[in-house]
Amino acid sequence: MHRYPRWPIHLILVGVSFVMLVPFYWVLKTSVTGENIFAYPPSVLPRAPHPFYYVDVWYYIPFARYFLNSVVVSTVAVIANVALNAMAGYALTRSFPAKRFVLLLFLSCMMVPFQATIIPAYLITGKLGLLDSYWGLALPQCSTIVCIFVFKASFDAVPRSLIDAARIDGLAEWRIIWKIMMPLAKGAIATNVILAFIWSWNNFLWPLIVTRSADMQTLPLGLARFLSYQEDTTGALYAFCIMVLAPGILLFLLAQKEFIRGLTSGATKG
Amino acid sequence: MSADDVEVSRWRHLLINRFVLVPAAIALAVVVWNIYVSTHNHGVITGIVVDPAGRSVPGATVVLWVLNFTTYVEKTRVTTDSAGRFVITDNDSHNIRLAAEKPDIGRSPRIPVRLYFRAQDIELREPLVLSGAS
Repeated sequence: MHRYPRWPIHLILVGVSFVMLVPFYWVLKTSVTGENIFAYPPSVLPRAPHPFYYVDVWYYIPFARYFLNSVVVSTVAVIANVALNAMAGYALTRSFPAKRFVLLLFLSCMMVPFQATIIPAYLITGKLGLLDSYWGLALPQCSTIVCIFVFKASFDAVPRSLIDAARIDGLAEWRIIWKIMMPLAKGAIATNVILAFIWSWNNFLWPLIVTRSADMQTLPLGLARFLSYQEDTTGALYAFCIMVLAPGILLFLLAQKEFIRGLTSGATKG
Repeated sequence: MSADDVEVSRWRHLLINRFVLVPAAIALAVVVWNIYVSTHNHGVITGIVVDPAGRSVPGATVVLWVLNFTTYVEKTRVTTDSAGRFVITDNDSHNIRLAAEKPDIGRSPRIPVRLYFRAQDIELREPLVLSGAS
């Protein structure tokens, strides 16, 4: 029984959601009308919408190739994130010498922006012979500290007795991770998948530096190339934005329940 | 519940969920669309040319322009038959313009035609109307 009626809160939330969605609606509307975004008064509803700006984008640049590159790199990044972060997160739930130092190191490394480490990252990738390749594109995105802590928080919520029972039954540590911990950490997995996918999908700076051939470019680079090629492309530009955004939005909509559960797991105990 | 039932239930749980069904539906739509495209991309454009009174015009010249990145360039010319119909068979663009002319009758405005994919086969719904001869 709630002390106060909840509808005012819901009303405010609906209003805030509406405000948040307006830019998305505007991009979608412009992508099917191509109208001048500075037109005044602006039209709220689309006039004579058509899908041909999407057709233009498909043919102006090698969209399918960029899309394939982004899908491959994001898939590698997502799989590597789930596997590596789960192992790192599990290790951080165990007791070992200098654990506090390692945690402190991880937390402090989160404060270092990627731009500051991009030269050593480039040199390492070059030494490995991975420049201008899918592996080179995905390598720096294969593990993120935030996602390690998401797994750690999720694993911390698993009762110790369960792990002890598995160990008494003779399970090795890596089987405890995959057979016991991972099925109980679906929220953390979804969080890792979504965050790794979106970060990899939207990454611009690293692909810009590590790719040399046009065939290895990803969608954000394609967007920059598209802007440099075309003039008077309001409709096509917005259509391109929708085509780049759509996979990430779809993934989020599919896994939003698990994503929110993953972000809040470990926030409460007992 | 038998072991077979458990096995079937597990497969059903793995296959019938939104993470499988949504990508599968998208993949199916892509396959269907590509089949449609591959069977309708011969670059054939047909239409009819008429005079201001609506009578078909034989012997009119129809010009096809295609978008060459930022500008439209002339691609081909054809002549209408005795019924005023024209057939263009070598369009390879998705963004074209068409116009018709005949010295005695006049010329039509250059009309933009947008296609859903390159070399889409279409029949113009509206005829090219000649006008403006002195």
